[in-house]
Amino acid sequence: MATLVAENLTFAYTEKSKPALNKVSVEIKPGTLTALVGPNGAGKSTLLRILQGQNTPDKGEIKIDGENLYRSRALVALMPQRSSMNWKFPITVEKLVSLGQIKYSKSRSNNPFQIKALLEYPNSWINKCCELEATMQRVGIANLANRRLDSLSGGQQQRALLAKTLMSPAKIFLLDEPCAALDPPAKEDFLKIVRQLADAGLSLLVSSHDWGESLNNYDQVIVLDKSVLAVGSPDQIKDKLDAINISSIKENNFCD
Amino acid sequence: MSFINNNWWLVPLIITIFSGILCPAMGTVLITHKRLLQVNLISHCVLPGLALALALGIHPSIGGVISGLLGAVIAESLTNRKSENYEAVMNTILAGMLGFGVLIIPLLGIRIDLEAVLFGDLLTANFGDLLRTIIAFLVFILLMTFGYEKVVYVGLDPEGASASGINVSLLNLALSFTTALVIVSSMSAVGVILVIALLSTPTLLGLNKAHSLRIAMMRSSFFGLCISLLGFILSIVFNLSPGPAISVICVASLLIPKLSQIIKS
Repeated sequence: MATLVAENLTFAYTEKSKPALNKVSVEIKPGTLTALVGPNGAGKSTLLRILQGQNTPDKGEIKIDGENLYRSRALVALMPQRSSMNWKFPITVEKLVSLGQIKYSKSRSNNPFQIKALLEYPNSWINKCCELEATMQRVGIANLANRRLDSLSGGQQQRALLAKTLMSPAKIFLLDEPCAALDPPAKEDFLKIVRQLADAGLSLLVSSHDWGESLNNYDQVIVLDKSVLAVGSPDQIKDKLDAINISSIKENNFCD
Repeated sequence: MSFINNNWWLVPLIITIFSGILCPAMGTVLITHKRLLQVNLISHCVLPGLALALALGIHPSIGGVISGLLGAVIAESLTNRKSENYEAVMNTILAGMLGFGVLIIPLLGIRIDLEAVLFGDLLTANFGDLLRTIIAFLVFILLMTFGYEKVVYVGLDPEGASASGINVSLLNLALSFTTALVIVSSMSAVGVILVIALLSTPTLLGLNKAHSLRIAMMRSSFFGLCISLLGFILSIVFNLSPGPAISVICVASLLIPKLSQIIKS
């Protein structure tokens, strides 16, 4: 189990540009499923990349169980957006998922014993999570193991990508718009899987444009638009809806 | 040695075989990494390096590789691949470097057989050309032996690869260097301009339904070898220029999938 705490994160892509994030503070508790919602350009992907250690914030700090992120970076895994993947690459689903185990970083947290630590979880299927076949079975793609990636549907591709992310020995998983471009049944199916992962003890932060009923699947909702506008349970956020300055979300029909 | 001297076709034939295997394998990596435009860039950028190296008394291949690599690095540093200006910047540098090469040849007072450099002159290839091809072949084998997993990861998911600790910039530089080597090595076979055909056409055939990069490379190399050998034989039989002959066969081979579809139906 691991808790991620980020405090007062401020980040701008260049010195002259406006901050993409301004004094953002978030906390991801163990075994929780958190939604990160906000309009386009709110800084969701930027925040996820910073929380994973790919970008360094100009100000603020990130700690995992009290330890600096850069000392335990492998405890955090990021599932990238669909658009960053080359889906035409000649590779099978099984090979893609196995790439999730690869860690070339020489950071302390790259220690393969992280896998051993994960195996200490009591839930039996998490024990198998580090194993390729069990992971693919868990996300429902075991029967697709030998299929080429570009022969899969959008939903199957997302599940394969999730399986690859789960193969890492991380304890906190950041999913960048995993439901984008999925049809409603595939989306529902995907959210069911991540709900089960959270129930089994993993911490997940899922960015989304969705401002609708699907938020009820989450334990916590963070509303972001450069800075954190609100944090709370889905019901609390819905109550605060009118008070939150989310005009851009409303204008873009993200409201139900 | 006397056997080789008496059989003028032997060295060109060995170069044909090596280039026929190497270029499509390299092309498979570049196409799957969406870096084919860079081949065009590097192939046009080698000319000023060749000219300067000749003027300085250095082996022209070394100059060609350096200037090809330099062009790729300049293009990468001026833009990034997600930028909408990427292709325009690449093409500007491509044209600028080629123009620079053509300009400095008379200024340096050197003689270069431009036609041979650009379109190849396989039948007059010598041991130096063969050695160059073998070096490029070995460098490619080394890259694939020690970096295959990384090449796959970066081609599939550059962000994920970077997050896993892979130095993506260094790997891309290694790919650019190997590409420059392959292009310069194929100078005698098909020339630095027509090499684009041998890098891309067999790959289109080899990539079809391949389940891994390795299989795609092997298939592409097989098709490339067949095309190169056919071009070599036709150029001897009909007294044609091998580089253009291989390029034309490449275009004709694009019809193979269509023909197989017709036969199947």
